[in-house]
Amino acid sequence: MGTVVEFKNVTYTYPLSEKPAIKNMSFKIEEGKFYGVIGENGSGKTTLCSLVRGFAPDFYKGTLEGEVLVDGKPTTEYGPGELALKFGYVFQNPFNQISGVKDTVFEEVAFGLENFGFDPDEIEQRVTDVMELTDITAIALKNPFELSGGQQQRVALASTIVLKPDILVIDEPTSQLDPEGTESVFKIISEMKNEHKTILLVEHKVDLLAEYADEILVLKDSELIKAGPKQEILSDISLLKKNVQLPQMSILGNELRKLGLPIKNIPITEDQAVDIVKSHLAKGGKS
Amino acid sequence: MIEKKKHSIKEDFSTLALLTMPIAVAVNFVGSQIHHALSLPLFLDTIGTFFVSMLCGPWVGALTGLIGSLVNGITNPSGIPFALTSISVGLVAGFLARAKMFDTWWKIVISIALTSLVSTIVSAPIAVLVYGGVTSSTDSLFAATLMASGVNIWKAVIGTSLLFTCIDRIIAIVVTRLIIKVIPARNLIKYSLGNNYVKNSTSKTA
Amino acid sequence: MFREKLSAVKENPIAALYPTTKGWIVILYCICVTALSTVKVNGYALYLIPLFLMIPVLFAVSGIWEKFFGFFKSIFIFVAFIFIVQTLLIRSDAVLFRFGFLSIYEDGLQHAIFLCFIILNIAGILLWLFQTTETKEMTYALEKMGMSYKASFVFLSTFQMIEVLGKSSKTIMNAQRARGIETEGNIIVRCKAFFPMIVPLVVSSIMNTEERVLTLECRGFDTKCPKTRLLELKKSGNEAKAIVISVIVTAAVLIGRILLWVL
Repeated sequence: MGTVVEFKNVTYTYPLSEKPAIKNMSFKIEEGKFYGVIGENGSGKTTLCSLVRGFAPDFYKGTLEGEVLVDGKPTTEYGPGELALKFGYVFQNPFNQISGVKDTVFEEVAFGLENFGFDPDEIEQRVTDVMELTDITAIALKNPFELSGGQQQRVALASTIVLKPDILVIDEPTSQLDPEGTESVFKIISEMKNEHKTILLVEHKVDLLAEYADEILVLKDSELIKAGPKQEILSDISLLKKNVQLPQMSILGNELRKLGLPIKNIPITEDQAVDIVKSHLAKGGKS
Repeated sequence: MIEKKKHSIKEDFSTLALLTMPIAVAVNFVGSQIHHALSLPLFLDTIGTFFVSMLCGPWVGALTGLIGSLVNGITNPSGIPFALTSISVGLVAGFLARAKMFDTWWKIVISIALTSLVSTIVSAPIAVLVYGGVTSSTDSLFAATLMASGVNIWKAVIGTSLLFTCIDRIIAIVVTRLIIKVIPARNLIKYSLGNNYVKNSTSKTA
Repeated sequence: MFREKLSAVKENPIAALYPTTKGWIVILYCICVTALSTVKVNGYALYLIPLFLMIPVLFAVSGIWEKFFGFFKSIFIFVAFIFIVQTLLIRSDAVLFRFGFLSIYEDGLQHAIFLCFIILNIAGILLWLFQTTETKEMTYALEKMGMSYKASFVFLSTFQMIEVLGKSSKTIMNAQRARGIETEGNIIVRCKAFFPMIVPLVVSSIMNTEERVLTLECRGFDTKCPKTRLLELKKSGNEAKAIVISVIVTAAVLIGRILLWVL
């Protein structure tokens, strides 16, 4: 698996700001993996996403030290629109992602393909498929402005996926959604994982990351304080002291361990926790 | 190092400007609805145009004025000739903004006078030649009264227009300044003229 | 196929004409208006009146008769005002009627009819064009004629923005009412409510614009390549017929006008 994005000693400061939003960051994003980004509000998660996609410094201006490489080439050297087919980007607020010029969900999803000049028949095919995948076929002829937040976010995801990007950058897609909306969005993201897309997802709901992600990046005060496979990061109880949220199962496992239960590996998902409990019950039954 | 900033039309029409124009037209629209609903002698329909001209310059401002008039024209085409006035408001406000004529109170006074004067110079001939001097708007009532009392048609139209446009411009500029003051600096600096409204912007762009 | 469901099927053959064709009809109609406005009967441009009666007929045969009075109400008020002012204000020697202190002079009435029916005719034919053509059809046709796709983007999003801002302004008004700010009452009270509403509305819209710029960038808005348009505007098949009829009528009007001069 190749490296698709690489940060080399990246420090980035927004214009009119004294403090850098990202400090001295180095890491690699490998093809086909699912990365979860966690950290407190204001720790630099959104800036990280902007840097990966090249929005910073191209759109946000500001000063960039170090290099952000996409396929080995610095993002600053890509021309406008050149990264649009490589990356898909989904923002927090579903409302802001509506183009505002289309009357139907179908046309909204097709908007990107129209802009890239695809053939109408191919557009029809692709949009129909994506609407099926994201479960919005039933609302295909509705006005995007008249949808619920969850539906709008699914439309935003569909409009992004339909361009078949290699890398998906998704910034807190569920922060403004109800549990039902959150679940439907995660279903789509996991579908993308099955299609071996590279995914970078900023998400507060660590329990869901424990379920779906491969790797976790932990940000605190503009710095990357920890990165690695999810099992290792999310079971690292010492992170709690740094105000990092951990899955409920990790916390439960840790509490049980404190009480004297011989838990070797801290569980991070419900399934793992159930397995541990089962094995203990089996042992307990025998003795 | 003093870098002389050149204004390119292409830069003025950034995607950000394209997305700001509809907001400006909508603000004009809301204002003109209030004008109609309350039968005010003030039009209140240039706040959006001023806003966009002050941030994006004369060309974006002029186009905003034009689009606003066309949008209004779709439900009532009888006012379309006044599009020329809206365009002139955008142009003049934009050039004044480039010359930083909106930052101190005495410059603002000059700007108010200039924009009112130009609007009147453009709209009076339209009112007189296309509509015979009087339209159904409330300020026309005053012009009509003056005309009825024997004042020459041009004097009546120009006089009332100048008076009410001045008040209208004062409101538009005060509201626009207020809006720009509330918008965070990080948003402002992305507009081609946005730096003019950010304090100490030059000292911090190291 | 979703594509087929995008453009509303218009049953009416006249409303279904191609936008550019309708544009030509509007131009030819304006030529007729100009020509007929110069024909004076005893100094009155009377021919403009029967010409204007064509507008409700055109609305009726285009299947939008029910829209006629709704949209013409504001135009009628506008024109009626001009009419009254013109008849009362332009003075001449010939007095037609006298009601107490008000006098109607011949020149005034002549000018009022001339002015008002020109406005009614031109506003009427434009309204017909706008009411039989959806905005997206109009911008599509203009794009085909060479207008930038960015211009049609601004135009289309303006309509959506007016709707969105209209809704948000109501929400803010309600919130203000809940906080005890008066939004109803006399002019000054309502004016005072307008400004605290418009400022946050614009500021929040501007702050949202940033993400919208980036979304458009992601969807290839800035990518330089020919753009596809899913909306297909079909010609109804009657375009040639409509143009021929309009040209013949216009030519007849022009010839009649010239004959009146010559004879």
